[in-house]
Amino acid sequence: MISINRIYAMIYRYTVNMRHNFDRMSDMFYWPAMDLFVWGLTGRYFSELSSDPKQTMLILLTGLIFWIVVWRAQYEITTNLLAEMWDQNLVNIFASPLKVSEWIIAVMIFGFIKMIISIIFSAGLAYLLYGYPIFIYGTSTIPIILSLILTGWSTGFLIAALIIRYGQKIQTLAWMGGYIIAPFSALYYPIAILPKWAQSVAKFVPSSYMFEAMRHLLQDHQISFQQFFISFILNMVYLTIGISFFMFMFRKSKKIGLGRFG
Amino acid sequence: MDGIILEVRNLTKTFPSKKGGFNAVDDISLSIKDGEILGLLGPNGAGKTTTIQMLLGVMDPSDGDILYFGTSLQKNRETILKQINFSSTYISLPWWFTVSEILELFARLYEIQERQKRIKKLLREFEMEELYKKEFRMLSAGEKTRLLLAKAFLNYPKIILLDEPTASLDPDIAVRIRQFLKKEKEKYNVSMLFTSHNMDEVEEMCDRVIVLSHGKIIAKDTPVNLVKSIRESEIELLIKKDRERAMKLFNKLELPFTQNGTMFTLVVDEKTIAEFLTLLTKENIEYEDISINKPDLEDYFLNIAKGEST
Repeated sequence: MISINRIYAMIYRYTVNMRHNFDRMSDMFYWPAMDLFVWGLTGRYFSELSSDPKQTMLILLTGLIFWIVVWRAQYEITTNLLAEMWDQNLVNIFASPLKVSEWIIAVMIFGFIKMIISIIFSAGLAYLLYGYPIFIYGTSTIPIILSLILTGWSTGFLIAALIIRYGQKIQTLAWMGGYIIAPFSALYYPIAILPKWAQSVAKFVPSSYMFEAMRHLLQDHQISFQQFFISFILNMVYLTIGISFFMFMFRKSKKIGLGRFG
Repeated sequence: MDGIILEVRNLTKTFPSKKGGFNAVDDISLSIKDGEILGLLGPNGAGKTTTIQMLLGVMDPSDGDILYFGTSLQKNRETILKQINFSSTYISLPWWFTVSEILELFARLYEIQERQKRIKKLLREFEMEELYKKEFRMLSAGEKTRLLLAKAFLNYPKIILLDEPTASLDPDIAVRIRQFLKKEKEKYNVSMLFTSHNMDEVEEMCDRVIVLSHGKIIAKDTPVNLVKSIRESEIELLIKKDRERAMKLFNKLELPFTQNGTMFTLVVDEKTIAEFLTLLTKENIEYEDISINKPDLEDYFLNIAKGEST
C-alpha cells in the first residue's frame, strides 16, 4: 500500500531543503528571469526584422517558457536524488518504510508544484517585460503543458537511473542531460528546418510535437489533437521505460549497497 | 522461534572481483532474542558494516535469509522497517535541516502518532532541548551522534541496529547514552545489535558477542567466556636488584618479556602464575612491586587482529 503520509514526508523534506538552500530557491526564479531577459531582448531585436514581429516574439517567448516546463520537471527528479547523496541521507530514507514508488510520486508532485510556480513567475515576467500574454489561449495550453511535464519526467527518471547506479561522478547529467532533447524538440523553429536525420530523430521526441502544436495554436488558433495524441503516446511509453529503468537501476544499486552513498 | 526478534541464516554477500568473487560476508548465521543486546565485533573489513547494511535492507544479500519477528525482510519490508531503526556514526543527516526538522521528517516517514509529543520527549532524553533550532551542520560531533540516536528511537523500535553509537562522544555523555540504552532495554525490552571499538563498552552492554573475521564468524559467546578463552596474563615486575639473574631465569623458562629500566613485563599462562612466583622466591629474586593484568575483551580483540596480520 502506498502511504500518503510518507509521500507527504518526502515533499516536506524537499520543501524544507529548498527553504534552507538559497540555490534551490533561486533556481526557481533566477534562471528563468535571466533567460527571459537575455533571450527575450535578443528575440525582440530579431523579431523586428521579421514580417510579423508580434507573432515571432510570442513564439519565441512561449518556446522559452514552455521549455522551462520540460527542464524543471526533469531537474527536480535528478537534483532531489542528488540532494540525498550530498546529504548522505539515502540510507536513512530507504532504511525507513519508504518505498521507491512513494519517493517517485513525491518528487513528481514536488517538481510539479515548483514547475507551476516557475511558469507563473516566468509568464508574469514576460507580460511585464514585453507585454505578451503567454496564456492567451487559456485552457488550450493545458494539454501542451501536461505533455511537456511527462517528457521532463521521462528524461528525469532515465537520468536518475544512471545517477542511482553510478553516483555523483556523473552528477553533471542532472543539469545537462535534459538538453540532449532540446535541439530535436524544435523549441523556437519548425521541425522542417532541421536536417533530415534530425527530423527523423525528432519524430521520436514527444516534446517536438508539443512545440509544433504550440506554434500551430499561436498561428492558426487551433490545437492539433493528432500531435497531442502522438506526443501523449510517446510520453507514456518513455515514462514507463524511464520509471522501469530507474527501478531496475535502483535494484542494481542495492546489490552493491546504498550505503556507499552514505 | 519463541522470543527471537532477528534471525539470520547463512547470510552471504559476494562482490565481484578480478579473481572471480570476494565474500565480504561468508555464510553467517545469528539470532537475537527479545531484549537481548548482541555485540558484533571484528577488525576493519571484517564484514560488520556490510552485515548491517543487509539487515537494514539497503543492500541485497547474495544468499541467505534475514527474518525479523519470524518473517522475511525481503517479503515484508514495510512492516518490518516500521518496527526497527538504526544509528550509525558513518551516516549523516540533511545538513541544512534543524534538529526539530530532522526529527519531524523521520517521525512522518515512520508515521508516528503524536509526533510533537514524541519529539519533545526524545529531545529531553538526549538533552537536546536547547538545540532544536540548530542546523545539523552546526552541531558538534557529539551532538550529531545524540541526534542520530534520538532518530533511532523515534518509532519505538523493537530492535535497533547501532553502529558505533557512542563514537566521538565525550566520556560523560557516552556514559549517559549507555545508561539510556540500558534503561530503554529494561523498560521496553528493546533488542539491540551493537558494534563498537570500545571494548569496555561492549563488555558493559552486550549479553553476547559475535566476532567476525574476513566475513566469517570466528567466535560467539558471552564477553566473559570470550575473555576466558585467552589464557595468558601480563605480569609487571619491578626488580631493582638481581636483574641479570631474573633475565636468565625468564630466558630459561622461555617467557617472552620486555624490559624498561627496572620494570619487566612478561606474558605468562594464567595456570602457571603461582608456580612462576614460587620459582622467583626459590631463586631469591626480589621484586619491589608486582601487578597482574588479567586479560579483557580488548586483549581478545588484539589477539584476533594480531592473528590477522600474521
